[in-house]
Amino acid sequence: MVGAFDWTERERFMIEVEHLTKRYGEFTALKGISFTANPGQVTGFLGPNGAGKTTTMRILTGFTPPSSGRAVVAGYDVFNQSMDVRKRVGYLPENVPLYRDMTARGFLHYMGEIRGVKNLRQKVDDVLARVALLDRAESRIRTLSKGMRQRVGLAQALLHDPEVLILDEPTIGLDPLQVLELRALVRELGRDHTLLFSTHILSEVEQVCDRVIIIDQGRIVASGSPFELRAELERGGRVLVRADAPADAVAALLGTVPGVALAEAANDGVVVTPVSAEVDPRPELARAVVQQGWRLIELRPVAVNLEEIFLELTRQEQADMSIADVAMVDVAETETTEL
Amino acid sequence: MRAVWAVFKREVSLYFRSPIAYAIAFALLVFLGFLFNGFVTQSNGQFPADATAIPGLITFLLFLIAPLLTMRLLAEETREGTLELLMTLPMSEGAFIIGKFLAAWFYYTVLLLLTVVYYFILQWIGVPDQGTAFGAYLGAWLYGGAVLALTMIWSAVTEDQVVAAFLGAATVLVLYIAENAAQAIASLQLTSDAMANFVRELGLQAHFGATLAQGIIRAEDILYFLFLIVAALFITTRIVETRRWRA
Repeated sequence: MVGAFDWTERERFMIEVEHLTKRYGEFTALKGISFTANPGQVTGFLGPNGAGKTTTMRILTGFTPPSSGRAVVAGYDVFNQSMDVRKRVGYLPENVPLYRDMTARGFLHYMGEIRGVKNLRQKVDDVLARVALLDRAESRIRTLSKGMRQRVGLAQALLHDPEVLILDEPTIGLDPLQVLELRALVRELGRDHTLLFSTHILSEVEQVCDRVIIIDQGRIVASGSPFELRAELERGGRVLVRADAPADAVAALLGTVPGVALAEAANDGVVVTPVSAEVDPRPELARAVVQQGWRLIELRPVAVNLEEIFLELTRQEQADMSIADVAMVDVAETETTEL
Repeated sequence: MRAVWAVFKREVSLYFRSPIAYAIAFALLVFLGFLFNGFVTQSNGQFPADATAIPGLITFLLFLIAPLLTMRLLAEETREGTLELLMTLPMSEGAFIIGKFLAAWFYYTVLLLLTVVYYFILQWIGVPDQGTAFGAYLGAWLYGGAVLALTMIWSAVTEDQVVAAFLGAATVLVLYIAENAAQAIASLQLTSDAMANFVRELGLQAHFGATLAQGIIRAEDILYFLFLIVAALFITTRIVETRRWRA
């Protein structure tokens, strides 16, 4: 829990959010969320569409005011000192709105002029080089690929050397290679900025973030390091077993292992569902396969995808059900790149 | 101030690169050219050359020109989502809107100055009155500023440019025919003249046709147009602000 904001602690929390609420008429988009973010850290905001990620980011960037609660960015209140906050924040909105008739350079120049960036020509060249777009600087934005536009948007957010970077779903709609490039860039930027970025892709969070905040229906439902969260979510989850034997035979055998509720043959192996969240059937599964004289090829948790996690986290809230009680759908990691 | 200048520069350059702005300029100048030609041939050198006809015509045509010039200004930014980006820059709504408005007014000023050529032609064939010509042009300039600011409101209200243009044209026409409405009210003789005068004074023509266009420069007319500009820009700013609060 976050204490009262203290000016002497300005450097400790670059972003500090307390009981932030946003209402639109009857609808409450944010229901009192609190968190902090530190310099040199990448914080991932994870949640399905409509969870409140974009709303939170819009509040932090000074675009829209909160209904109640408080947010302090780089030592300035987002509502009362909006201009001071805006000077120190670089923001890449969702869907990357750009002026399509301008050249990449022209657009950056315009943004820099409004911001009053010193040595603007030099700065524009610098950020274009940083996002590897120098060779397309004179192209109209409408002619650039989606990945390039994303990088123009990122260049815009970096133009004024902001202390805080806020990126709203920066990898959405990119091809796998572009996603990898962008993640590498985000990681790199995370070293010398306070970086907050949102996504609905779990594996992305694991690769890029130091900390994850999972948000759903305007509430923070979980937070911690990606490793902690994943371990927690996978506990009691289904396990995929592959052995060099017919899948039906393997399934029949594994169904008899203690702690196993269900074993069924799937495309690429046998999916095992344990009886409860407290049971980890993996050691027993390995032993059973080996004792049968088969060779064990693979034994791993079925990749948990975000929608399922949400289903679980929100059902837990509503009905206090354990994770294992919820049937999970087998969706493998192809989800990660949003092809 | 810096932001106003940056926005102004971009918008002006857009006007001079936009096909629609050239189409407006072309249509306006061709149309005025025809009317001017007819006007000169009919007068046949019999009457003192009247330099106020052209600025007068322009003020009438503004109900078409102004919405076309301003419909894009804010509607496009809202629709494209660039408003969100701009409103997270250290720039107030006011600066942003003033920059846009000044660019539209600047473009209109250039159009207006192009028509000054007719004054010189008149000078060649007759003796136009310098004072009335100056008053009429000053009036047309202020009139244009007021009408541009008014039509820009609709560009903030809706993100649909066509809707913005229609509502803008309607607004200007209503203010234009206030004069006729006043006459109608007066002819009914239901109330005292105060009501009719009030409606009349609200309208655009009362502050141009009988005064500035005749070379009569009154402070109240200038203040009327300036007030319209300030009020319209203020309303536009509040609308954009509200949009942001609801976002």
